[in-house]
Amino acid sequence: MNDKLKLSHTAEDIRKPSWVPAPIAALLSFIIPGLGQILARSIRRGILLIVSYATIAGLMVWRFILAAPRDEGVVDIVKKGWHLDSSLIVITILFVLLHLWVAYDAYQLAKHRDRTPVSVFFIILVVFFALGWQIGQINIINMVTQADEALPALGRIAWPWIKAIEYDEDEIRAYADIEVPCPEDHDPPPINEVGSEPVIVTDLTCGILREQDGTQGTMLHVEGYNFIPDVEANVMWEDPIGNEFRQRQEGAYVVVSPDADGYFEVDIEMPYRLLPPSATEPTYIWGLFVQQVAAVGDAHLSKDFKLVVEKMIETIFIGMMATFFGVIFALPVSFFAARNLMSASPITLVIYYLVRGVLNIIRSIEPLIWAIIAVIVVGLGPFAGILALVFHSIAALGKLYSEAIESIDPGPIEAIQATGANWVQVVIYAVIPQIIPPFVSFTIYRWDINIRMSTIIGFVGGGGIGFLLAQYIRLLDYRSAGMAVWFIAITVAILDYVSAEIRARFV
Amino acid sequence: MLEIRHLTKVYDDGTVALKDVSFNVPDGEFLVVIGLSGSGKSTLLRCINRLIDPTEGEIIWDGVDLAKLSGEDLRKSRRRIGMIFQHFNLVKRSQVLTNVLSGRLGYTSTRRSLVGRFSKEDKDKAWAALKRLGIEDQALKRADELSGGQQQRVGVARALMQEPEMILADEPVASLDPVLAHSILQYLEMLNQEDKLTVICSLHYLDLVQRYATRVIGLRDGEIVYQGSREDIRAMTDEEFKEIYGEEAERVGSGLEGALQAEEGGVA
Repeated sequence: MNDKLKLSHTAEDIRKPSWVPAPIAALLSFIIPGLGQILARSIRRGILLIVSYATIAGLMVWRFILAAPRDEGVVDIVKKGWHLDSSLIVITILFVLLHLWVAYDAYQLAKHRDRTPVSVFFIILVVFFALGWQIGQINIINMVTQADEALPALGRIAWPWIKAIEYDEDEIRAYADIEVPCPEDHDPPPINEVGSEPVIVTDLTCGILREQDGTQGTMLHVEGYNFIPDVEANVMWEDPIGNEFRQRQEGAYVVVSPDADGYFEVDIEMPYRLLPPSATEPTYIWGLFVQQVAAVGDAHLSKDFKLVVEKMIETIFIGMMATFFGVIFALPVSFFAARNLMSASPITLVIYYLVRGVLNIIRSIEPLIWAIIAVIVVGLGPFAGILALVFHSIAALGKLYSEAIESIDPGPIEAIQATGANWVQVVIYAVIPQIIPPFVSFTIYRWDINIRMSTIIGFVGGGGIGFLLAQYIRLLDYRSAGMAVWFIAITVAILDYVSAEIRARFV
Repeated sequence: MLEIRHLTKVYDDGTVALKDVSFNVPDGEFLVVIGLSGSGKSTLLRCINRLIDPTEGEIIWDGVDLAKLSGEDLRKSRRRIGMIFQHFNLVKRSQVLTNVLSGRLGYTSTRRSLVGRFSKEDKDKAWAALKRLGIEDQALKRADELSGGQQQRVGVARALMQEPEMILADEPVASLDPVLAHSILQYLEMLNQEDKLTVICSLHYLDLVQRYATRVIGLRDGEIVYQGSREDIRAMTDEEFKEIYGEEAERVGSGLEGALQAEEGGVA
């Protein structure tokens, strides 16, 4: 028996004949895939095939049951699975092929002891690939056909600056009272004087509302004067109890566009409106009005733009404070994590391993997880983000610093000692000059990372621009989200450049 | 007069680096220590200024046993012994001038060195030392911007700042090419002859040994296997040298000798 795991045979193996004839091996492998290979004296190969086959079978059962959770009986489940997910059909075909191929493989192995077919493992790989495709729910067709749906959002994110400026708005309203229904002693409509203010004139000053059963309401001819040219205006009503609503006609809101003189005309049917039972007066006054919203004054930065800038500044400071505290705590820790300083005695060596271990554990937990924990402790906001990043920074910097300490050149230390310098002088002239450049470099690098991380940490409530970005995305406000993304990108790019420049000077 | 008596060094891992080594170095001698890597040359030199503590034996210099010194006394003795290293051992990121000035640390109070201030006198000395070695125009560069030969001159300048009575040079030219090797050794020879400093230097190449040594000791496996005067070593052939030294001994290309003779006049 060979004691090394291998898929192929060595020269010795080849000479050993199979324990069973080839057809028997094939039959055995057809019943229990892999058994034929074992009895053909390819034990490792047989075991590998059994394990692979069982794994594939197990995964298939899982995926079929998941696809048809409400069906019972193998046939029903398989039918439903095939029906719902065509990739399961492919997998089934491959599985059957694999089953047959394992039997064929056993036959070949038992018959030709000097050959080592590998095609069966290729089929196993293909089956695993197909399963991975199905489990990963890979859907290339969806990705391609639905890509255009992402375009509007992408466009807004790519160029969001329309949202960066806004204008003060002025609202213009012109009213005309309509009495409902027409009183008996109704006067003819008064002729309104058209002055210089926006005004609307109706041909009738009373009428009846449309009924729920479809009885038409009174048709009104509305003319407007002195509106702002070329700015759309809404035709609206104010009912007797003060509720405002827009005029709808044929399923659409009625919108008018004044011409160059600020004049428009439109015909409207008086709307259906349910009146409360308490409405017992003989007539009510309904207010018909035309509302125009127009931008006035100069452009100024929008509220969202200012918010993004504020949060970006907050983000940079989260990164800065996290780096600051990270450095403060990492400095002393790093000396305990430096092997060359701690290998003097078994006690210090134990401390070294403890510190290293703790640092590794802290570092292996993502800042996002730390942020979630910090949010539980100190609540939402930038402080939680700072705490999360401080933890991660201590661990990362502690490791980097300690490695810088470990890599200092003992030569200068020896040389300075040889001049008759005392311990303090050796530290100042031989140790510190060697560790300051890497320390500065690592610190700036960490600051860089922390600011990049702090843009993300807001997603879990750690304050900063991430918090805002997450909100905008959830509100589908892609323009504002786009501004945040732009600011993050600009800040990170500047920071990358600056930190690279500073580090280049120190290393 | 430096007297080494029964010096033995056993490292913590059990390696015996020096075995009962005894020899005398009269003042003003240019003693060259030869031997293969690992033969104990570096350990011997480092024992003299106690960068390495010997296990046993005495190192008597002007009547004081250096092996027994500690603390302040040790530092006071150390500052009279300059040391030059194979890899120069400069603080690479510090200025050349700072590196040279650090040779004065043994004479500077801790308080002053904390703020990094050296006296005017020290600074003048540093400039003078740099000038003497012909690198005063490099003084304000970072040490790692200099070439190997220049860096070793900074190392020599640093040692000079100590106003030493003895210089230990641990393979000072092993990282340099042959031309630079001669130039550095000529500085050491100059210090030896003009300033009457004792020089203890480990070297690898026979022609360098023949050219500069006034006395030679050979080490093999931590033991002295050869002691010879200037005349002995000059009469020695390559074959004899190899016999003492081991098969790996080499002669620096003799074709360079002519060029070096010309340069020599200028430097010395």
